[in-house]
Amino acid sequence: MTTTDSPNALCFGEELPASGAPCFVQIEGHGLTITFGSESGKEAQETVPFSAFAVSAGGLDHDHLVLKWGEGLLARTLYLKHPDLIRAFREAAPDHLSQPFEQAAERVRQVRHRHRVMWASVGGSILAVVLGLWFGADLLVEMAVSRIPVEWEQKLGEAAYKDFLSHQDVMKEGPAVKAVEEMTQRLAEQIPNNPYKFQVTVVKSDVVNAFALPGGYVVVFTGLMKKADSGEEVAGVLGHELNHVLQRHGMERIVKNLGIMAVVAIIVGDQQGLIGLMRQVGVELLTLKFDRAQEMEADLTGLQLVYRAKIDPKGMITFFQKLSEKDEGRLEWLSTHPMSSVRADRLKAELAALPRRSLEPFTFQWSEVQGALGVSPVAVP
Amino acid sequence: MKSEILYPGAFPMVRVELASGEHIKAESGAMVGSSPTVDVESKMEGGFLGALSRKLLTGEKFFFQTLRASRGPGEVLLAPTVPGEIVILELDGVNEYMVQKDGFLAGAEGINIESKMQNLSRGLLGGEGFFILKIGGKGMLVLNSFGAVHKIELKPDQEYIVDNSHLVAWSATTSYNIEKAASGWVASFTSGEGLVCRFRGPGIVYIQSRNPGSFGAWIRQFIPVSE
Ligand SMILES: [Zn+2]
Repeated sequence: MTTTDSPNALCFGEELPASGAPCFVQIEGHGLTITFGSESGKEAQETVPFSAFAVSAGGLDHDHLVLKWGEGLLARTLYLKHPDLIRAFREAAPDHLSQPFEQAAERVRQVRHRHRVMWASVGGSILAVVLGLWFGADLLVEMAVSRIPVEWEQKLGEAAYKDFLSHQDVMKEGPAVKAVEEMTQRLAEQIPNNPYKFQVTVVKSDVVNAFALPGGYVVVFTGLMKKADSGEEVAGVLGHELNHVLQRHGMERIVKNLGIMAVVAIIVGDQQGLIGLMRQVGVELLTLKFDRAQEMEADLTGLQLVYRAKIDPKGMITFFQKLSEKDEGRLEWLSTHPMSSVRADRLKAELAALPRRSLEPFTFQWSEVQGALGVSPVAVP
Repeated sequence: MKSEILYPGAFPMVRVELASGEHIKAESGAMVGSSPTVDVESKMEGGFLGALSRKLLTGEKFFFQTLRASRGPGEVLLAPTVPGEIVILELDGVNEYMVQKDGFLAGAEGINIESKMQNLSRGLLGGEGFFILKIGGKGMLVLNSFGAVHKIELKPDQEYIVDNSHLVAWSATTSYNIEKAASGWVASFTSGEGLVCRFRGPGIVYIQSRNPGSFGAWIRQFIPVSE
C-alpha cells in the first residue's frame, strides 16, 4: 500500500477497533490482499485465499459485502462497500462464493422494489388528495390553518410586531392613542369567544396606512388618522384589519405561500418543522398581501363588526370612497388595498340590508384627536 | 481545521478554527459567534420555496449554514439547542455513520451529508422519524446529544438493544430491526412506547442518556393548559 492508496474497506476483529480498522483491499486471481496502515507508517499485509471466505450481505441496507474468515481470536470480518470493489470481487471469486451475496442482493432489490411501490402509492394517494383539493385548495389551507394553535400565531405576530416597531417612532400616549384604544375596545367587545388579545400601536408617520399581524397585533399610522374626518372612519379601517386577524388571513397566506408541505407539516403535527418554517417567513409577514377574497371577507365582516359595536358604519364607507379618489399623500393602504368604487358599493349594499340601529358616539372628540396630531381645525364644516 | 470542545458537560460549546478559505457546514442556528472574517452563507439555491421544498422533501433540517473564513483565518463557536454533550468524530473516508436528524451539529469540508428516507416501518416506528442523515467522507464530524453521549461498541454479530428515542448515530456497518419491547403491538402503536432497536454489529452505536420526547412530556405536565 502506498500512501496514495486510501483505505477502501473496514476490517473488524477481536483486537481491532470497534468502528473497524480502515484497510486497503486488492483483489487478485487467488484471493484478497489486505493492507493495514499503522501510525508508525509500517504496513501489515495479509493475503487471504478465496477458499477461506464465508460471504454474506450486511450493513443497514444489506448493501455491504461481508467476508468472514478465521476462527476464535483470529476471526476477521471485512466490510466492502464500494460497488466497484464488490463487482471486482464477484468477477474474480469462484461463483459459489458470491452466490449468497447475490441472493441477498436480490432479496434487497425485491424489498426495495416493494418499498418503492409502497412509497409511490402512499405518495400517489397524497398527491391525489392534494390535487383533488387544489381547486378547492382554500379548504385545505383553512383546515391546516385551523390546526395552528393561536399561541404560535401570537408568537409569530409578536416577533414581527416588535421587530417592526423597533424601527418606528411609536406614539406612547395622548388623545390619538386613547381614541384608537377606545375603538379597539368597542370592536373587541363584540367578538364572541375572542381568542386574541388585540394590541394596537399608533406610529408617528405620514404614511396613510394601517395593518394587522397574525395574533392580533395592529399598527395604525398617524397619517391615516390625519386623513380621516371622523373616528368612525378610522374604526372602519380597524374593523377591517381586526377581521384579517380573526379570519386568520395572515396564516392562510403563509400556508399558501409555503405550499403544501407546510400543510402536511401542520397536519402531521411537526411543530418544530413548522416553527422553523415560520421563523424564515417572519420577515415576509410585514409585506404580506391578502387576496381579493380575503379583502372582501374582511370588508364584510368588518362592516358587521362595526355595526354590532354601534359605530356608524357609514364612516367605513366614506373613508373607503375617499381613498378611492386618489390624491396627494402617501396612501400606502392603497398599495395593499386597491380601492375601487365596487368595493364601497358592495359595502353600501350590505349596509342597506342591515336594519337600522341606534349608534353610540365615542367619548372623544375627533377634532381634539386631530388637533393633537397637528391637524389645523380649518376647512372642516 | 482545528476544533476544541469548551465547557464539556451539559452545556458545551465547540470552537472551530478555520484557515483562510476553509469552511464548515453547521446546523442552522448552531452558530454562537465568530470572527469577523467568517461569512455565513445560507444555501438557498432555487429561491426560498425551492430550498424549502427540497429541505422538506429530503428531510434535512431546514437549512444548513456554510460558515466560511472568506476574509482570512478565523474561528467559529457552535452550540446545540438542547443541553447535552458534544462529540467530535474524525471520519477516515471509509467509515460512514447514520445520524438521527437532530444529532448533527457540524461537519468539515470533506464531509458528505446525504438525507435518506428510511423504510416505512423504521420510519413509522423508529423514534428518529422518516429521515436520517448518512454522513461519510473525510474529516471532522460534530454530533450533539440530549444528555450525555454513551458509546456502545459492537463486535461482529454482537447484539444490543436500544430504545429508539435514545439513538444519536450508528455505523453504517451495523444493522438493526425495530422490535416491540414487551407489550403487544397494539399498545406500542397507541402509546408509542415500548419500541426498541435491536442492533447487530460490527460497529459503534452512539446513544443519548436522555429521551427528548419523554422530557417534553414531563415538561408539558407543568404547563397550564388554557381553554
Ligand atoms: Zn385588508
